[in-house]
This record gives sequence, C-alpha cells and structure tokens, in this order.
Amino acid sequence: MKINLILQQLLNGISLGGVYALMAVGFGLIFNVLKFSNFSHGGVVAICAYFGYFISQHVYPNFIVTLILTAIVGGFIGVIIEKLIFRPIRLKGAPLTLFLVNSITAAMLVQQFFAVMWGDNYYPYPEFIKETAIHIGEFTVSKIYLLMLSISAFVLLILSYILRKTKIGIAIRAASSDIRTPSLMGINIDFVISTAFFFAGILGGVTGYLLGMAFTVDPFIGSMILKGIIAAIIGGMGSLGGGVVAGLLLGVAESLLIAEIGASLTPIVIYASIILLLLIRPEGISGKGYIVKA
Amino acid sequence: MIEVKGLSVHYGGIVALDNISLSIPDGKIVSIVGANGAGKSTTINAISGMVKIHSGTITENGESLLIPPQDIVKRGIVQVPEGRKIFPTITVQENLILGAYVIKDREKIKKNMEKVFDLFPILKERKNQPGGTLSGGEQQMLSLSRALMSDPRVLVLDEPSLGLAPMFVLEIFKMIEDLNSIGHTILLVEQNAQKALSIADYAYVLETGRIVSEGRGKEVADDPIVKKAYLGIEE
Repeated sequence: MKINLILQQLLNGISLGGVYALMAVGFGLIFNVLKFSNFSHGGVVAICAYFGYFISQHVYPNFIVTLILTAIVGGFIGVIIEKLIFRPIRLKGAPLTLFLVNSITAAMLVQQFFAVMWGDNYYPYPEFIKETAIHIGEFTVSKIYLLMLSISAFVLLILSYILRKTKIGIAIRAASSDIRTPSLMGINIDFVISTAFFFAGILGGVTGYLLGMAFTVDPFIGSMILKGIIAAIIGGMGSLGGGVVAGLLLGVAESLLIAEIGASLTPIVIYASIILLLLIRPEGISGKGYIVKA
Repeated sequence: MIEVKGLSVHYGGIVALDNISLSIPDGKIVSIVGANGAGKSTTINAISGMVKIHSGTITENGESLLIPPQDIVKRGIVQVPEGRKIFPTITVQENLILGAYVIKDREKIKKNMEKVFDLFPILKERKNQPGGTLSGGEQQMLSLSRALMSDPRVLVLDEPSLGLAPMFVLEIFKMIEDLNSIGHTILLVEQNAQKALSIADYAYVLETGRIVSEGRGKEVADDPIVKKAYLGIEE
C-alpha cells in the first residue's frame, strides 16, 4: 500500500471508528446499569436515521439544527422505550433473559415497521457540504468523515464530563456496580435509569443521523449497531473508555483491511480476530473488577 | 420519634416479621439484637422503605413512613447497610458526593465533606482512589461517612461491626456513642449483642420474626434467656 493510501484509510477508519465508539458507549451505558444487551438501541438508531432524513430533507435543511433535534428526539425515544418495555418487567423482578428478548423484539419491530412503510426506497440526506473533499497535496480527506469524527468526539467528551462531574452522572456510574444501594442515599433509581436511557438515546440519535448522512437510510441501518456491540465487548463490558478505544481500533482495522484484502474478506478476518482476542483476554481490553469487602 | 406498630413482612409464603412493634425516641440509641435470620435486617429495611410490608404502620411523629426509600432519606432517616455496600468502582470522594445527593447546596456539601475528612483523615488521603481498593475497616468508615454526608437526624446501622478486626470494633462502637452524643438518633442492629446492649438506651431481642424480649439495654443484657442465647453466659 502506498503511504498516502494508508494515511487516508487510517483517517477514514478513525472516523468510522468514532461512530462505532458512539454505538459502543450507547450500548455500554445500559449494559452497565441493567446488565443486559440492549439491542433496542439499534431501533433508536434506525428511527433517528429516518427522523433526521425527514426533517433535514423536508422541514429545515440545516445540519446543526437537525442534528441536535434528532439527538434530543433519540433521547426521548430511549426514555419511552425504557418506560414501555423495560420498566414494567424490572419492577416485577423479571430475569435478564426477558430484558434481552424484549430488546431484540423492539429492534425487530422498528426494522419491520420501516421495511413495510418505506422499505422499497433509499433515502439520502441533503448535501450539507458542497465540496465533499479537502485536498492537501496528494492527500484527499472526505469532509463528511471529518465531520463524523469531530461530532462523535464532541458528543463523547460531553458525556464523559457529565458522567464524571455531575451528581446524576456519578449516580449512573454507581448504579453500574449496585442498583439497590443508591436508594439509601436518597437517589431515585427509576430516574437514574431513565436518565441513562436518555443519554444512550442521544448517542443513538447522533449515530443514526451520522450513519444516515454518510450512507443512505434503509430499514436495516439499525443492525449496524452490531459493530458497536462488538466494540463494547472487545473494550471490556463495563468500561465505556474501553469501548471507545475498541470502536476506534475496529474502524481502523476495517478500513485498512478493506484497502489491503478487499471488502469481502475483511469481515472474516475481523470476526476471526475478535474470537481469538476474546479467547486470550475474555475480560476485553480494559475489563477489571473490584471487590467489595464484607 | 419513629414508631413501628404491628409490622409484618412476608417473603413469598415465608413470614419474616410477625406483628412487631417498637419505638425509637429522638436522641436515643435503640438496639435490635438477635441471631442470623431473626428479621433484624428486614425490620430496618422496612423502616428504610426497602421492603414491601404486609401489614402494620411505620410513622415518624405521626406521619407515615410508608413512602419510597429516597423520600425517607430526604426526611433525615439514613441507613448504613450491612456489608458496607460502598460503590467500588467510583472514587472515595464520589461515594461521599452521592451520600449528599439530597443536598442541593454545593457549599454545604463541601463543608460536610470536610467534616467527615476530619473524622476519618484516612479517607481524605484516599479520596481519589476507587472505593473498592480500601480495606474492610476503611470501607466501613466510608459507608458511615457517606451516610453522614446528608446530615441525617436518624442513623440506621446494620451490623456495623461485622467482619471487622476487634480493635476496629471498639472504635466503631465508640464512634456510634459519639455520634449519638452530638444529637444523632441511632437505630443499631447487631449480632454482637454484648456490645450493642451495652451502649443501648433501649433494646429489643428478635427471634424468628418476633420480639421476645425488650427493655433498657442493661435489663435486656441481664435477662437470663438473653444471656444464655446471645451472650453465651450460663447462669
């Protein structure tokens, strides 16, 4: 590979990896608190991809405004999903398997809904950027990818600040290790869980918007979160930072491999490596445990 | 004054508490002693709003305490749970910040944190460490400090001495008396009956969900049945 091509693929990989990181964190936030794999996150991504398309193409073609609006809508969809399908079974003390089943069902429902309603067409976002590439010498950078990277980084930095510096953020992190005890501090755990779904939904909204903008919108866009889920697992379930690193690595590995061995072989190599990695290090990149001493 | 009247708690078909009544007057130390599984933790978890009660009432100065657990904390009744239950992955300081969750005033939170750091200087040294890296004794200090962060009037302590080194047990009981002397009402649940009875103004003995003996701490300690069953003293 020429060095230029490598650099270019590297940048593309990091940009795509940034979106994987968004998905990994959105997925990880809920996993940390409720300990189940929340596939309904893919549903949020899909709804928001369509919503973002609709408002940017038909209502108000402004990138920033529609992105923010989509993110907020994503947050509320997250909250609604929690209230409708997870809270009732949580209050009944249902086993985790039921949460998993509900989350997969919700994702399928969204997918089928869009497939039936708007499945026979592809929906492109408006062209927010006229000139799509920046040329620096021989080096060509896609503006869309740069935009994706900066927005993912910005959103993750804000979330990281909230989780570290605000009471509700600290409460979400505390609930990750113990969901019962926060009540003894006067913390309303239902509210904490709602807020976690709100944040995850915002990430899902941004993810849906960026994916829709970079590619096109189709009913199966939500299934792209599988990459994010894989990143979360490689990163070490429970570690949001690990998920971000793994998301970036996954994106870069994918892009470099596509340039080197082609798009059809890449997934085989990627998935095989992931299985190998988890055999060697089942706790993921940064998974670690603390002991509560009794 | 907290008053529990005719309280029963069932887990599935099992009766964990059967029609118990007790009162915790302001400013006093009230101990509940009894063997494992007698219903001690269930009693205080009912007072903290953590278990669903089957029948009976729990009131404070006439107002019902059958409200969500977070609202009980807002009323100044705070439990230090059995097994410390500190949050292991967040820092000592973050644990304390959560303890003050119900306090909105940032200055007040800072002040309370300084107060607990004065009480337990080791926590200040370790404030940026994850809670899970502390020793058992330090985790107990953190658990107690976390409860103190919200300025509680009533402290509900579940087995505070469990699993601690003997020297630290003495220290914890001394600390409980000190906290009582500065105005905190204490409800203490302990398997270490001897220590719990020696500092109690009033005590209850629980056995399989029923109160079998009650009275002033010293009186209960002198009850021959209690002596035999819980203090290991044969007359």
